[in-house]
Amino acid sequence: MTTVQIILSVLLSLAVLGGISMMSKVKTAVAGNMLSALAMLVGVVATVWFSGVMTVWTIYVAVIIGALIGSLMAQRAQMIQMPQLVALFNGLGGGASALVGVMTYMGWGKAVGPDGLTVVPEYPLFVNFTAMLAIAVGMITLVGSLVAAAKLARLIDGRPKVYAAHSLITMCLLLLSVVMIVLGTIYSGNLWIALASVLLTAAFGYMFAIRVGGADMPITISLLNSLSGVAGSIAGMAISDIFLVAVGGIVGASGLLLTQIMCRAMNRSLMSILLGGAVKKKTTAATATQPSSVATPTVATQRNGKTVFPENADFEQLLQQLNDMEVKQLLDAIEALTKEVAGLRAQLAGQAAPVAAQEKAEKTPASVLRDAKDVIIVPGYGMALAQAQHAVKQLADKLEYKGARVRFAIHPVAGRMPGHMNVLLAEADIPYEKLYEMQAINDDFKTVDAVVVIGANDVLNPAANTAEGTPIYGMPVLAVADAKEVIVCNYDLKPGYAGVENPLYTREKGVYLCLGDAKETLMKLTNEI
Amino acid sequence: MHPLILVAVFLVCTIVGYFIISNVPSLLHTPLMSGMNALSGVTLVGALSATGLAYAADGIWAQVFGMLAILLATINVFGGFGITHRMLRMFNKKKPRS
Repeated sequence: MTTVQIILSVLLSLAVLGGISMMSKVKTAVAGNMLSALAMLVGVVATVWFSGVMTVWTIYVAVIIGALIGSLMAQRAQMIQMPQLVALFNGLGGGASALVGVMTYMGWGKAVGPDGLTVVPEYPLFVNFTAMLAIAVGMITLVGSLVAAAKLARLIDGRPKVYAAHSLITMCLLLLSVVMIVLGTIYSGNLWIALASVLLTAAFGYMFAIRVGGADMPITISLLNSLSGVAGSIAGMAISDIFLVAVGGIVGASGLLLTQIMCRAMNRSLMSILLGGAVKKKTTAATATQPSSVATPTVATQRNGKTVFPENADFEQLLQQLNDMEVKQLLDAIEALTKEVAGLRAQLAGQAAPVAAQEKAEKTPASVLRDAKDVIIVPGYGMALAQAQHAVKQLADKLEYKGARVRFAIHPVAGRMPGHMNVLLAEADIPYEKLYEMQAINDDFKTVDAVVVIGANDVLNPAANTAEGTPIYGMPVLAVADAKEVIVCNYDLKPGYAGVENPLYTREKGVYLCLGDAKETLMKLTNEI
Repeated sequence: MHPLILVAVFLVCTIVGYFIISNVPSLLHTPLMSGMNALSGVTLVGALSATGLAYAADGIWAQVFGMLAILLATINVFGGFGITHRMLRMFNKKKPRS
């Protein structure tokens, strides 16, 4: 690399950083994106120029085909497909880095010096090591992203899949991959080592991505995004290209930051998400079976009888234990009762006509919204699934037409990628000034007249504050439970991805359930107001 | 170039990038991620020079691998920037009219 190249690389890297910092404001974001793209273009042209490969026709063929495919996909894609598309592109970048790793390791395309001889790398071990590492990280990114994209596109089952001895196999694959990297560092240019490494790391990527799913997707995608940057950066180290190292590092940092934000929003550690598939299932099963087993008093007494008076027990402890038990039993009984009441209510609703006549002027979701002057709408992944964002916009318009103030509360992990809800609502022409982050709006739930929940569950489940031991315990949630009137437009009342029952659905007062396809429900609701 | 310089560049960019990106509001996290995604296709630079240099010296396999790498990276770059642009325009749609 000459001095000119180094200076250019630094300038271009700064331009990329500038472009990203312009992405922090909506007004400048479009220009920022273009600045980054321009810096990349200049970088590519400069690379072709400086490495003296302008006359090689193969690279132009590949670039033109790639550009056509990429542009077409970007134009044709619908906003609803965004998560899987982001994941897919991400994977392709990782795959390209892996291939660059293979080429570098094999010693293909070594730079030619001024004397016409190929330049022998000064630090062959470093080159081999980084090339092998680029293969590994690149392949993990490629296969992991493809699995994630297939899950998001519902080509394969989106739920976490855990094979027998999953962790053991994963660890073995990782170990073997490391062995390959070490071997590759020592013996350069061995095609078999390169191929073995490609296969092993691809298998590892598959095992790692197949066991995450559902609500953990935003975290996985952010992490893969980070990895694709790191893969590029390592490939850059292998071929001593500062621009590549710099930009890859920036991308890696961004993915890391997003991953961190997502993890914090779910109150979980990254490790528990990557390794958590199996553990989570167990807790889900436990919470699901608990209510039925304690619903009848006989079981409760038995339970009681079993624990009383073990010899040498500390009396206070025992008392405490007993107390806890009674409270638990009471809670369980209450839970069972509320469920029964809810069932009865549902039955009543079925034969509503005569009952409604008796009860004078019962409130309906439409009447609540008609009188509301201040409304918060809470969208979730269900809105994306039903593609209900335009119906949401219509509802919001109608409410505003009637003089109500409408705001949107967005939980950081609502949806399947960071900022998913914001993009969908922007697509429906909802001004971004009306979208509020959780911290900015959580205190207002107490005071608003009505809250409309659309296809969201875990992100507003009050059980997150109380139900210790469940997967969502401790996760910051939207304080929808504080609101006086809540209208829930969900598909059904099943627990969300986390598998924890939402006590809000069985609340006595001020909760209206409009079940079914969110789009249809919303349109009906809008017409009735 | 000395390996330590390369590693240092990586570390500096990661840290600087981290702080700049932490200013991006969650509103724009999807466009940010997709923009970053496009940037991760920067590995195109490496694919181009390696493939070009391998043309004269190395065999057909080098070209196959190289062209595949270029293809994947360009799809990543064009698709990524294209989508990001579309998304960002959506956020701005209201502005010119009002």
